Amino acid sequence: MFGFESAKHIRHNMGRLASIVVMASLALPTALHAGIWDEGDIENGQALFNANCASCHLVSNEVLAAPGLAGIAERWGSSEEILVQWIQNPQAAAATGDSYVKSLVDRYVGTYGWMTAQAVSADDVKDIMAYVQNPPDVVATADSGSDCPTIYDAIEEDQGANGTIWFLILLTLFLIIALSAATVRKSLEHAANRAVEHADAPYSVRLRAWAWDNRTFVGILSLFVVAYLVVIGYQTLMGVGVYQGYTPDQPVKFIHSVHVCENEVDCQYCHHSAYESKHAGIPSTNVCMNCHKAIKKGSRYGEVEIGKIYAAIGFDAESGTYLDGEGNNGFQSPQDDFQGAPLKWNKVHNLPDHVFFSHQQHVVVGGLECQNCHGDVGKYTVGRVAPVEEINTLVDDFPGLIELSKPTLTMGWCIECHNKAEISFASSGYYEDIHDRLKDDLRGNEELRRYMEDEKTTVKELGGWECSKCHY
Amino acid sequence: MADNKIYWSGLEELDRTPEYERIASQEFPAERPVDEFLSDDRLQRANTGRRDFLKFMGFSVTAATLAACETPVVKSIPYTNKPEEITPGVANYYASTYYDGHDFVNVLVKTREGRPIFIKNNTETGLGRVNARVNASVLGLYDSARLQAPHLNGAATSWGALDAAVSKGLNGNGRKVLLTGTVMSPSTKRAIAALSEATGVEHVQCDAVSYSAVSEAMEMDYGRRVFPSYRFDQAEAVVSLNADFLGTWGDNVWYTGEWAKTRRPESGDMSTLHAFESGMSLTGSNADRRTRVKPSEQGRVAAAMLRELTGEGAAVQLDEAVMSSVKAAVADLKRAGSKGLVVAGDNDLATQRIASAINRSLGALGTTMVVNAEPGLNQGDDKAFAQLVTDMQAGRVSALIVDGINPAYHAAGAAAFKSGLEKVGFSISTAMYADETASRCTAMAPAHHWLEGWNDLQIDPKRIDIAQPAIQPLYNTRHSAESLMAWAGQPVDGYTLLRQTHNAAYNAEAMYTDQDWNTGVHNGFLAVNVPEDVAPVFTGADLSSALREVAGRKGGSFELDLYRKVAIGDGQQAANPMLQETPDPITKTTWDNYVTMARADMEAMGLNTYIAQEDPASLVKVTAGGQSVELPAFPQPGQTPGTVSIALGYGRGGDGEAIGRSAYQVDGSGEHMTDADGNLVPIGVNAFSLATLKNGTPDFSVYDVTVEATGGTYPLACTQIHHTYMGRDSVVKETSFDGFLAEAGAKRGEASWNKTIGLNVHDDVNGDGEINALDKKAVGEFDLWHEHAVDGIGHRWGMAIDLTSCIGCSACVTACHIENNVPVVGKDEVRRHRDMHWMRIDRFYASDWDMERGEEEGLGVISTYGKMEEPGANPQTVHMPMMCQHCNHAPCETVCPVAATTHSNEGVNQMTYNRCIGTRYCANNCPFKVRRFNWFHYPGYDKFQNVNPAQDAIQRMVLNPDVVVRSRGVMEKCSLCVQRTQSAKLEAKKAGAPLEDGSVQTACAEACPTNAITFGDLNDNASEVRATYDNNRTYHALEEVGIQPNVAYLTKVRNTSKS
Repeated sequence: MFGFESAKHIRHNMGRLASIVVMASLALPTALHAGIWDEGDIENGQALFNANCASCHLVSNEVLAAPGLAGIAERWGSSEEILVQWIQNPQAAAATGDSYVKSLVDRYVGTYGWMTAQAVSADDVKDIMAYVQNPPDVVATADSGSDCPTIYDAIEEDQGANGTIWFLILLTLFLIIALSAATVRKSLEHAANRAVEHADAPYSVRLRAWAWDNRTFVGILSLFVVAYLVVIGYQTLMGVGVYQGYTPDQPVKFIHSVHVCENEVDCQYCHHSAYESKHAGIPSTNVCMNCHKAIKKGSRYGEVEIGKIYAAIGFDAESGTYLDGEGNNGFQSPQDDFQGAPLKWNKVHNLPDHVFFSHQQHVVVGGLECQNCHGDVGKYTVGRVAPVEEINTLVDDFPGLIELSKPTLTMGWCIECHNKAEISFASSGYYEDIHDRLKDDLRGNEELRRYMEDEKTTVKELGGWECSKCHY
Repeated sequence: MADNKIYWSGLEELDRTPEYERIASQEFPAERPVDEFLSDDRLQRANTGRRDFLKFMGFSVTAATLAACETPVVKSIPYTNKPEEITPGVANYYASTYYDGHDFVNVLVKTREGRPIFIKNNTETGLGRVNARVNASVLGLYDSARLQAPHLNGAATSWGALDAAVSKGLNGNGRKVLLTGTVMSPSTKRAIAALSEATGVEHVQCDAVSYSAVSEAMEMDYGRRVFPSYRFDQAEAVVSLNADFLGTWGDNVWYTGEWAKTRRPESGDMSTLHAFESGMSLTGSNADRRTRVKPSEQGRVAAAMLRELTGEGAAVQLDEAVMSSVKAAVADLKRAGSKGLVVAGDNDLATQRIASAINRSLGALGTTMVVNAEPGLNQGDDKAFAQLVTDMQAGRVSALIVDGINPAYHAAGAAAFKSGLEKVGFSISTAMYADETASRCTAMAPAHHWLEGWNDLQIDPKRIDIAQPAIQPLYNTRHSAESLMAWAGQPVDGYTLLRQTHNAAYNAEAMYTDQDWNTGVHNGFLAVNVPEDVAPVFTGADLSSALREVAGRKGGSFELDLYRKVAIGDGQQAANPMLQETPDPITKTTWDNYVTMARADMEAMGLNTYIAQEDPASLVKVTAGGQSVELPAFPQPGQTPGTVSIALGYGRGGDGEAIGRSAYQVDGSGEHMTDADGNLVPIGVNAFSLATLKNGTPDFSVYDVTVEATGGTYPLACTQIHHTYMGRDSVVKETSFDGFLAEAGAKRGEASWNKTIGLNVHDDVNGDGEINALDKKAVGEFDLWHEHAVDGIGHRWGMAIDLTSCIGCSACVTACHIENNVPVVGKDEVRRHRDMHWMRIDRFYASDWDMERGEEEGLGVISTYGKMEEPGANPQTVHMPMMCQHCNHAPCETVCPVAATTHSNEGVNQMTYNRCIGTRYCANNCPFKVRRFNWFHYPGYDKFQNVNPAQDAIQRMVLNPDVVVRSRGVMEKCSLCVQRTQSAKLEAKKAGAPLEDGSVQTACAEACPTNAITFGDLNDNASEVRATYDNNRTYHALEEVGIQPNVAYLTKVRNTSKS
């Protein structure tokens, strides 16, 4: 649907403000300042750290997407005010001309880029520093991974989905044995007589005779065979076009669980257009580079898979700079003229062309969480269509989640949800206007009463089941 | 229809031909006759037996079934390095300016993922209305026949090598000439000056369709060689002397919108329009009074008008009927005074001078006609061009650079130009295609498509209009001004050149910091401070020679008027399938060129006057000045007897040039036809060569031609009798302006010209104690269907179309079809009534007789009806856009066996393609005949390989990704642009605010240059469309059927009685 391979773009494309990762950290040991360093609330600090800092910084001295923060109190070579300012607005701090900050800028900004300004107060910084100096568990996020599955977990879970087939086969075998045992004496007697009667008859005649003599057995067996075929046939036909559990191979072995579960990256950090567009979008490679400019080695596949991103965007891992079309490096941001082969992902959530689906309608207006339709992506390794049963298990974790019965990505699934999902007229000025129109009109009032019979208004009642809401 | 008139769509309907009757009673015309199919000898050659056929079929069915179960693997390829302003799935709009040598329009370009897919009006600049040619031009961007690299001596080369060859070529002795169309760009002018200085190149301008007589007349009268700026919004009376200012003449798009402002009956005043012409033009069809004259009489009409107005000159010889029209026109002009305006279309100096004298005597100068000091449009100098051709033929030209025009096709002396070109030492063209001129040049330096490059354009001294690129150049092309600078030895990129023109101190560091410039680019134009222009002083000489000349003009047995069609224009977009398939607003014919003739003349010559699927047109040979062309003859009501009209802009690329696959004729299987030389056969013939040269200036009115029948026939794909109302006729309502004013205060449904239709009931409704024929109930009170809950509930989308404003220009048609991915099907399919047009413009003719006139002239009712049914040699015309009416009681919905067409609670009749099984019951049951059936898989089937944009790997990028490309076997029709209403609702929901009126427009409403179409939410009491619905002119088509449409029409008001 989107993403033409040769996507041309606008020429006067104003320089792109490559976004932004990282906070530089700290180098020189210095005097210990009382105040900001040791009075904070460690617990609150941990929450703040996880919310604001953890996507780039570790509390150890390892590098994630930016230098580790261990020993910051000893290193910080300037005032506390400058530290707070440095976190709240790094460019402004640099503009003060502070010599220590200047040394940080010179040393790190080239490699990691400017840190994003953080909306934290001076008190928050105090709490964060308290946590950074006294982390309860230094290795917290890096490799614990206890709840986060490895690559094949989710796929292996899928095995055995066809339990009914095995059940039917076993049942049939059991019945054959039971019936055979029950009639064994009679059969033996018959066999003795028949052997004489039809000794020289053709095989087909003998088979017919045998079937007639064992008609109860043959009848029941045929019934089961027919029932089995009907069930299997029905299931197969209902499964046409159903892609539950669809997990195609991808050009890069991207592991959702590492990013979402272990590193707690928000879905919309990568799939940001879910808020702005009908497509949630596959992140462009330059978005990957926001972190992977610094993280050059993956926890599962080392440099191999991350290297594929570098090849696509033209990044020289050794020098930490980008290449241009001529193969020169030394650029801090991706170069437009670099002609790498783009990553060609296999689309997992395939809707037919005649279906118009808008992410922003559901995420922004409907207020749905990604998990409502995609399941707990943090638990899978590769992108896949989550089966509806799996999504239903999340109902306790996500209060707004609606339990559904039809397979994911089928029309039954869509309209089942449209029938259950409620709309509150008070939720926005738009729906208030619609409500006013209904109230002010005689015919509308009647309609409104009909909506409210069950004391709620559903998407369906406001037209969510009409064909051209999705098909045009 | 209104009880007082009889309307007909063409001669076929008027005379009830058997073919017409057959079509009118059938939704789908007969399939291809079986005999014809079986007699196809290709069938005999097939060596597949019946058994084999069955085996293959069985195998195919199984294979297809199995294949359908396979999970398709769809690739999804994100940007590697995403531009910041692009979000996949979200459209961006860029202000730009279209200028092709004739049309000058500010537009907004809609892009998706960086691909321009739609051109729409830019309402905020004053010059932002679009026509069919402008909004369809987006298809040309993706044409794979475009030159993809510079060429030297027929082989692709690099720009470096080309530039070297050019500088060598410019070293020769002899005239070195740069030949361009009218240059409107200050930057290009700078580049030309630089080139002249460096190499001594002279600059000659020449327009494809010349207007030089107009500028010459201005030069003689005011000493300014300019094409005047006509202010139609100021005009109270307009007289057009063969000037199709609503369709193709001058700055027509701008005129159209400005003129329409003066045609609002509700304002209490309407301008009048008188047209004097030979063929029926768009302007003539919209005139309040149209008079048939011959081309040779045009000058005399002007002279008679001048004499009536000022007494100047001697009496001229004209018919009584023409003379009475002249008097009526002069009466209106006198009443309007300085607000009168006469525009003359003939490129004839004498006529233009007289027209100028009339405007001067009216005092129109400065009000309706402004003669600027700076030249604007149409600066072509035909004399300089004629001199150039002479020099070329004499071998005196050493180098020729052609930019922006195609003289080997459109010059009046094209043959001389071509032979002269062979004698030019070095020639180069910057055309986008290897067209008639470029393919004969030594070198080709292809320029960008207008959507790919920067440009600055100046039509008015007070503003610079900016064109900005909406996409990176697709091919290895170069802006022509950039090429000129390179050849001047000062290579500079086009953007820098542009910026330096408007800011000499510009440097690359200031690229993004100039606030004024950024605002200008954003808005589409930069305002320029210039001192007020000094009014021109009349310095003109004696008119008597001009008056004598026109008085003495004589015509032959036939006279020829060469005109331009609304869709094809001067032919530069001949390869645009969307324009080729847009029915001409007057003849309703697609994909062809023809000779329009008066019916009487055709009958006298024994030509076929009824054209239908199985009734081909007769071929005639038209000879003028030794040149002759052979074309089918089309019977045109309103054509002056003794005249024929032929459209320019056809017959392109017939000499082996490659100008695009859709510019050529295809056979029944979709393959290009070839002629004896193996060249592709162009559509129509080039009629530019028939123009008369007067002092080197081509005059497109030819006073003496011969017309002879050749005996051959030729099928035309004419849609005029397709999709009829099957005998129902309450579709159009009209009244005169006086009639309107007399009942201006009437409530809707009560005025005599817009009475709600009542049906008799067996009940004493009027309370007179008797049950009789007077007991009628309004049709809206009857209900065959259950009521649809749409009023007061949520949104209810509705549309109102003002027949007074609609001029039939077809901008809405192309806009609709591009927006909704409507397939192009080609001539053969159109001929079989299988056009896919979601929107059509019905053009009805009516006699100028009506009941009132019958009464006035003392005729009885019966004889008046008789008069109304007379063929109407000069009929009145009504243009009526027709698309799905979104009936609340829709007949199509009740007959669909699978509920594929249903009603939404927003009042829209929804068509669900994926549900449709193609029974076509709905189309049969539609009283408006607006449903279209997909007979084929247009994006894939071979038959459409040369016409359908979706069949070209590059051109399919123009498809709108928000609208599905329909598959074979399903119905489709207007959706009221549901993709747009859905998206507007989403925006409102996201903003958490009520949906604002005007925040959503359908493609047709947006494109309409006269604002005839109003679209909006009928449940929003403050909306414009709600207010229009309450207008007393509002009615529904086929009201008596009781279908309650959500589309309404406003009674046409013709300003006929004022004079």
